[in-house]
Amino acid sequence: MTAQGSISFVVGEEKKLTDVLSESDVLPLLKSVVGAGLDLAAIVDMTGEPLWFFVPGETAPGAMLPLGTALECRPIILSGDIVGRVHLSAGEGIDPALLRFLARVVGDAVNSMVQTNLKRMMVTELHTKVVQMSYDELLEKNRQLSASEQKYRELAEHLEMRVQERTAELKQAYARMLQQEKMASVGQLAAGMAHEINNPLSFVLSNLETLEKYVRRLSEHAGFCEGQLRQSGSDDLAGRVEDRRREQKIDFILDDLSDLFSQSLAGAERVKKIVSDLRGFSHIDEAEYSQLDVNIEIDRTLSVLSSEIPADAEITREFGAIPLIVCRGALLCQAFLNIIRNALQAKPSGLKLLIRTAMNSKDHITVVFKDNGPGIAQDIQARIFEPFFTTHEVGSGMGMGLKVVYDAVSSCGGTVTVNSREDHGAVFVITLPVNGRTDE
Amino acid sequence: MIHYDTEAGIMVIKLVYYGPALSGKTTNLLRLHDLLPCSGRGDLMVLDTAQERTIYFDLLPFFITAPSGLKIKVKVFTVPGQVKHDATRKAVLQRADGVAFIADSQVRESLNNATSFENLEQNLALVGLDPGRLPLVIQYNKRDLPGIVAEDAIRSLWWSSGVPLFFASALEAWGVVETFQCLLRTTYAALDATCCLSARHGLSMEAFTCGLTVPDASPGMRER
Ligand SMILES: Nc1nc2c(ncn2[C@@H]2O[C@H](COP(=O)(O)OP(=O)(O)O)[C@@H](O)[C@H]2O)c(=O)[nH]1
Ligand SMILES: [Mg+2]
Repeated sequence: MTAQGSISFVVGEEKKLTDVLSESDVLPLLKSVVGAGLDLAAIVDMTGEPLWFFVPGETAPGAMLPLGTALECRPIILSGDIVGRVHLSAGEGIDPALLRFLARVVGDAVNSMVQTNLKRMMVTELHTKVVQMSYDELLEKNRQLSASEQKYRELAEHLEMRVQERTAELKQAYARMLQQEKMASVGQLAAGMAHEINNPLSFVLSNLETLEKYVRRLSEHAGFCEGQLRQSGSDDLAGRVEDRRREQKIDFILDDLSDLFSQSLAGAERVKKIVSDLRGFSHIDEAEYSQLDVNIEIDRTLSVLSSEIPADAEITREFGAIPLIVCRGALLCQAFLNIIRNALQAKPSGLKLLIRTAMNSKDHITVVFKDNGPGIAQDIQARIFEPFFTTHEVGSGMGMGLKVVYDAVSSCGGTVTVNSREDHGAVFVITLPVNGRTDE
Repeated sequence: MIHYDTEAGIMVIKLVYYGPALSGKTTNLLRLHDLLPCSGRGDLMVLDTAQERTIYFDLLPFFITAPSGLKIKVKVFTVPGQVKHDATRKAVLQRADGVAFIADSQVRESLNNATSFENLEQNLALVGLDPGRLPLVIQYNKRDLPGIVAEDAIRSLWWSSGVPLFFASALEAWGVVETFQCLLRTTYAALDATCCLSARHGLSMEAFTCGLTVPDASPGMRER
């Protein structure tokens, strides 16, 4: 770079992936993702040759790539061109959705690293190779360039932190998605079953009624025949019929029949109510937003939970006169269910649960759940609405519960708070606006 | 040309949007990015700083694959317009295959246009390109504004040069794709003469231009 115009540097020259990424950029990322239970995390070029990789334990370069049975790839793009791939593989045990999700996270991270590094390099190259200016200009440009380069360097440095933050965020989002999918599929299953049960149930009910009528007529007819017989004076015949009647315990049967009918009808009616509660609970037949009576929703929820409520549990309902509210019914029922279930699990025997609804102000209602369980320690109260936070044993499927409550209530425009002292039970207070339509 | 590797079957072409500061070069690329289907291009990369809009350059890459299998990458750059960034302009101009000169139509910018065009001619000579032979198109941008030079006056100014002339408003997104297509055509003509794009690679001018600028014009021709 001596004479004017003899610039050897060309802006825009092709770069390889190995020009813009370094081992120190990618290895920590690969390492951390392998820590999530993978067999291999690698960055490969277009021919599939590994440029960098990480396997648990052994990391000797050149070692054979152990290929797990589950595999996910994500393209790495350098100024618009696919130049390589992020390659993750794991054993059969891994949840394929989790693997896909991890691939997306690593893919995003590597791609934004490539982008940032490329910008930084272009700036630096211009900086060092191009400038032919007066000393003052050079100083000035240096200042601007280093400010800009600094910006990109900071970006790169913060990237790993951002990736970690994002990984945690995405993990939570993933868990919530799973939970929501589970909820949705349970609701759909319930609604589908309810439909299937409803049809036969309605003819069982109507047949039972008809049957009762028929039986009544038959027994009337038998009584009529016996009466005629007695009046006909044919004592011998009447006596034989009488004996036969005693042998067959017809009197007892006629007595019992009406009990059987009323019990069967009551049973079928109960099935019908459970089914309709289930449908109501899942809110499958309704638009997303509907007008609902919170008192009825709580009863429905209790009825759906009835099999989980032990005989010695004492649930007191103090329902106030409250107006209908507009909100997402399915979500609200799910919130009620999670709070009640939480109380049931916190105190498996001797639970006393008070559920109170009341008008709070002109346009808000409150729903209070007060239990006599072990309570929630002060220091963790602030955290119980976080996903995964659980005091239950790992694997009991809990942990998402109160986060779901929080999300559900928030999306109805309401708030939920907890008040508790250890050994003094817990009080959950949900406040809901009468019109809970949110724009979200 | 930035790169031509017949063995690997890769050609990398450089097109440059040149012009005075604030004439709308970056806006042109932004519009191309928005108007053209993303299947044939990469992302727009804007190198900026907190102080100024473009002190380095912007880059928007496009792709097309010729019937022969030749992968063609078209990298479109902008230069910083300010006088003091001349060194960067030269570096960006190095090995350019075609230039779109973006002028500002406003009467009060006429002198800046002229200065910048002179600077282009000088710099082309400095980086070893022949201003008389390099594919060049001119766009008068900001036609949506009041106080602009009349079309006739502009036409008569450039008529003798024979350079293709376009009127545009990058802000309102018209004239932008036409300018780019014309630049692609003239660039194609020059490349075809040296690299036999049509004879050796089976890529016609229309296939090249449309493949890069029209959605689904030639199925199977575009990469990704
Ligand atoms: N009115 C009008 N403004 C435009 C047009 N094109 C660009 N601009 C504006 O002109 C300014 C400079 O544009 P920019 O693309 O950054 O110029 P560059 O320095 O050549 O890259 C911006 O405020 C643009 O919004 C146009 O066609 N009409
Ligand atoms: Mg610009």
